[in-house]
Amino acid sequence: MSTEEEPKRRKVLDATLGLKNIMGRHFLAIEQAYRDGKPTAWATSGTPVELLYTMDVQPMLPENSATVSAAQHLSKNFIEIAEEQGFSYDLCSYFKTNIGAVAENAEMIKGGTRKPTFMLSSDVICDTHVDWFQTQAERMKVPHFTIDVPHIVSNTNQRQYEYYKKYVSEQLWELMDFIEVHTGHKLDIEKAKKVARNSYELGTLWQEIFDLRKNIPCPVSTRDTFGGLFPLFTMTGLKAPIRLYKRMYREAKERVDDGIGALREEKYRLAFEGIPFWYNLKFFSKLEQWGAIIVYETYTYAFSKYVNPNVTEQMVISKPIEAMSELMLKFWYIYDLQTRIKKYKEMVDEWKVDGVLLHNNMSCRPNSCGLYDLKRHLQEDYDIPCLIIDCDMNDPRKMNETQLENKLSSFFELLEQRK
Amino acid sequence: MGLSKKVKKLAIIDACVDTPEEIILAADLVPHRLFGDPSLPHSAADEHVPPTHCVWTRNILEQGLRGLPGDIAGLLSIHGCDCTNRQFDIWLDSVKADFMYFLNSPLKRNNTALKFFSEDLKEFALQLEEYFKVEITDEKLHESIVLMNKIRETLKTISEFRNKMILKYSELHELLKLVLTSDKSQALKICEDKLEELKTRDSFSESHLKRILLTGSVLDDTSFIKQLENTGFHIVIDDLCLGTHYFWNTIEESGDPIKAIAQYHLEKPIYSTKVPSHARYEYMKTLIDAYSVEGVVNIAQKFCESVLYDHPFLKTKFKELNIPYLFVEKEYNREAYKQLSTRFDAFAEII
Repeated sequence: MSTEEEPKRRKVLDATLGLKNIMGRHFLAIEQAYRDGKPTAWATSGTPVELLYTMDVQPMLPENSATVSAAQHLSKNFIEIAEEQGFSYDLCSYFKTNIGAVAENAEMIKGGTRKPTFMLSSDVICDTHVDWFQTQAERMKVPHFTIDVPHIVSNTNQRQYEYYKKYVSEQLWELMDFIEVHTGHKLDIEKAKKVARNSYELGTLWQEIFDLRKNIPCPVSTRDTFGGLFPLFTMTGLKAPIRLYKRMYREAKERVDDGIGALREEKYRLAFEGIPFWYNLKFFSKLEQWGAIIVYETYTYAFSKYVNPNVTEQMVISKPIEAMSELMLKFWYIYDLQTRIKKYKEMVDEWKVDGVLLHNNMSCRPNSCGLYDLKRHLQEDYDIPCLIIDCDMNDPRKMNETQLENKLSSFFELLEQRK
Repeated sequence: MGLSKKVKKLAIIDACVDTPEEIILAADLVPHRLFGDPSLPHSAADEHVPPTHCVWTRNILEQGLRGLPGDIAGLLSIHGCDCTNRQFDIWLDSVKADFMYFLNSPLKRNNTALKFFSEDLKEFALQLEEYFKVEITDEKLHESIVLMNKIRETLKTISEFRNKMILKYSELHELLKLVLTSDKSQALKICEDKLEELKTRDSFSESHLKRILLTGSVLDDTSFIKQLENTGFHIVIDDLCLGTHYFWNTIEESGDPIKAIAQYHLEKPIYSTKVPSHARYEYMKTLIDAYSVEGVVNIAQKFCESVLYDHPFLKTKFKELNIPYLFVEKEYNREAYKQLSTRFDAFAEII
């Protein structure tokens, strides 16, 4: 088919353009909550935001707000404000962006956020989440609840897993008591089921979109997934993002049926490990100059949440606390090293990946720990080419673009030789 | 894998002092805490962990990768920070000691956490029994609790000699390291002998020494402590793992021994890796009053996030309290210590 005869193609899905409205809706809901005197909560990623929606508490996720700052090139300034307050250059750049944004009283559309009724954190992803909210809760004088999630390692056995799960479940019941004390809101079982059903549908729809990316050419690029991730963090449990994901799915499916890819000529299919560089998303478009497209990101896939085979739709609705505990203990982002290697190998095969880019995120220790070993195993055990990129998710000072391009250039030469 | 009868030590990776030594002793093993070695370059660890990760955990990993001593029968790693937690899988993958257990010492300190920690301690005991073919009875646990309590009480009495200007922290520091790596009956004897000897000592002649409280990360290199003392400080009290956190409380000797051990760890002075870490300040405030402290020095190992997060809060609090406060981030090699002398000198002058 000649270029003229090809159906009109777009790099970004039309549906993704609707994301702006969804984000706007989220920010409006926050403003509305303040106007109506409705309780609000800060929550860290990995916590069950569904419980907040169920108990009629409006969630706000400062991590997402930090990415909004970075995308508008405002994070550097906020980070430097935090450093002036004594927070180290080496600490989490999301955290420091939030410290600076709050200090500057930044608008919500610039990554600012507002004083909540309470804060909800967990160490499931990192200690920083807990330290972050401890710091801000103390400064804002609001109550703070933390969910302590036991750390699963490569030799954790089933017996241990069972009492870990019990520990998380007990804390979720305590969380509901905490919310009731601080808001007066009680758990509504029928609403809980509705929210759980929506959350499950949203997560599985996202997985179905990812499944479409197994096709050659890949119909969806990071232009859709990095931004498209937003509702999975902030609006899981609501109807509106489901409609958006359904549109994304339909459009991507049409592309697959028509043999259209997000990239005109797809030469290399890559996977990306880690958090994107939110202040320089254009970097990912530059991969196109080598004919490369990212077809899988563990980070964006991880927050589809429902990847634990023990958790079925029925369980989510009938035993929501047990399901939430299971989900908090096992998902892509916190897999132990052995599981991570195994899952990577499966993903590379299923998504037909030619190489893996691993982001050594300089201010995120949990994200970068084990990365060298993952690379070694993938290369030595499975002959999967990998490239480590040293950078940072929200701090542009830690990106050396020229060095990065040189490294990529060599990597693509290597991939070329393997074709 | 079979076991030689000669092998008796269990290596410990602990970013605080949350190790249930009593359970290890009841399994007829010697808990052997791993300390950093600042003379060691991190060539092997650099192959596994990025250079922006905690220098202390990288140093410990380096030792593991180079090979643990032959009398180490296994390893216990305690839930600490993101670095210690995530690096355990690297130990499993690349160091491969015969027995390896990751103990999830809880983040929080309430009844739910107590129940959970008791469960995890029971599982640890069970795995020790299964692997080492031993029986950990309540009687043996009770015996080891009594022994450890005696050690803690003796150490606390010894520590008080700092207040009398008779004992320097560096000397206590060396003693603690010995206790944490020795057979505990011998350790008790060493402590008792030290106590008797201290009773006969005169106080220091250096009256100009500034009385400080030392806090911060795991500080296990005694030469660093000595450098601080040589600058003109007397570390009259501390808020450290290798210090008061190890001996400030004792374990309840009646009732369920496992629960008592768990309870002890949830009630002892809090460390920055636990919640709420800001409670560390309240503990320090009490010590400042009780020991007539003139200044506080907070030392973070480079990239030690837990301590780095707490620093601005502590800085504000000590300012409100009108107590001079110095915060220093240090590398884990002795050459780099020297560069800190100027900052220590300047701080000594303002106290």
